[in-house]
Amino acid sequence: MHIHGTLEKLLLSEIATDSGKESLDPDEDLLEHGMLDSMAIMKLIVRLEETFSMTIQDEEIIPENFQSLNSMVRFIEDKTKKQ
Amino acid sequence: MDFSLTEDQAMFKESAINFSLKTLNTGTKEREEKGEFSRESWDKCAEFGIQGLPMPEEYGGLGRDILTCIAAMEGLGFGCRDSGLLFSINSHIWTCESPILKFGTDAQKQRYLPPLVSGSWVGGHAMTEPDAGSDAFSMTCRAEKKGDRYFINGTKMFISNAPIADVLLVFAVTDATKGFAGFSTFIVEKGFPGISVGKPLEMMGLRTCPLGEVILDNCEVPEENRLGKEGAGSAIFNSEMEWERSCLFATHVGAMARDLEECISYAKLRNQFGRPIGKNQSISNKIAEMKVRLELSQLALYKVAWLKATGKRAPIESAVSKLFISESYVANCLEALQIHGAYGYSKEMDFERNLRDSIAGKIYSGTSEIQKNIISSFLGL
Repeated sequence: MHIHGTLEKLLLSEIATDSGKESLDPDEDLLEHGMLDSMAIMKLIVRLEETFSMTIQDEEIIPENFQSLNSMVRFIEDKTKKQ
Repeated sequence: MDFSLTEDQAMFKESAINFSLKTLNTGTKEREEKGEFSRESWDKCAEFGIQGLPMPEEYGGLGRDILTCIAAMEGLGFGCRDSGLLFSINSHIWTCESPILKFGTDAQKQRYLPPLVSGSWVGGHAMTEPDAGSDAFSMTCRAEKKGDRYFINGTKMFISNAPIADVLLVFAVTDATKGFAGFSTFIVEKGFPGISVGKPLEMMGLRTCPLGEVILDNCEVPEENRLGKEGAGSAIFNSEMEWERSCLFATHVGAMARDLEECISYAKLRNQFGRPIGKNQSISNKIAEMKVRLELSQLALYKVAWLKATGKRAPIESAVSKLFISESYVANCLEALQIHGAYGYSKEMDFERNLRDSIAGKIYSGTSEIQKNIISSFLGL
């Protein structure tokens, strides 16, 4: 819940600022809907590393980890557990 | 924060300067006029170990740390007057070898890194398309999977090293519904069916680095030649651009140091109105400004290298560094030409060529305008 809320807030307030949305459907495909472009993902990675004190490898930046809010939450949970 | 070079790094830089002064400058002017790449110089650089500077020893590289690589590149930029050759080598290292090392499977590393590191193979990457330059991810090149192969169709443009490349990393769309995350990268050998290269393109500068068009007509690539997972193309591209922006411009810093030395020397020796021109503030101020730009460029370069050496991301810093160094190099080349007057403008000296070469730095690896977009975007704009 904590990760979900923090991530949703980060996405809407800093990354996908032009979306005009106040909340995200957890399974909404952010890539297909164009909410994450190549610049946005660079910013998102830096902010995720800062916010969740984690290191994301470049090879982990693939669609299955960043497709939706839920996939990002799963990815962060897995990473933080391992760390 | 200590950006000073260690004794070993300083010695390596010095040896790169001596090597390039002694080995790489014969016939540069003539080759540049004809737009000729020097395979001989390429091979000599490989013997020295340049193409394998940051590559692990197990693949034949020198396994040097990033700061040493940058120091060596600075040394090469200072000593070597063939900017096209240096650009060619940098493209080979940062846009082909490095991504294979970082994202490749063991089999891919075993097959491709040894010949690339030894210099017997030339590498590059193919991203830009006729209608997709700064907006690189609007590419139309497609890769369709059929069984255990991909078939790539599209055209790539302004591809460094293409006319001489043995292997290219080709970026193509594998899932058009996924936006930037629908791109994948493929290791394509020149002998694969369906790849061909157009004749070298005539450019304003960096004329000794062969640039060409790459045509992929149902180019057949085995699945095991996909680099990274499907959809990892943008991560690979961003990673290699960050490395290139962080390291390639070390050669510019070296060249700026050489130009400054030559300007100081000329300003002391050239007499007009009965005294050295360096005694005129209009000249000495230009030289002071050149020194400021060099000093700040070096700081920006070393800061990025330090960040990368500690394993940190440096998206803003590499954009700042690339922007500042490339713009400073052009400014210093203009001033060096102006200080040398008609001699500077003549083809007898290197300053007009340096200026033509320097302008390319404002365009490749992301234009100056794109660097500003990256910086402002990270600032929340």
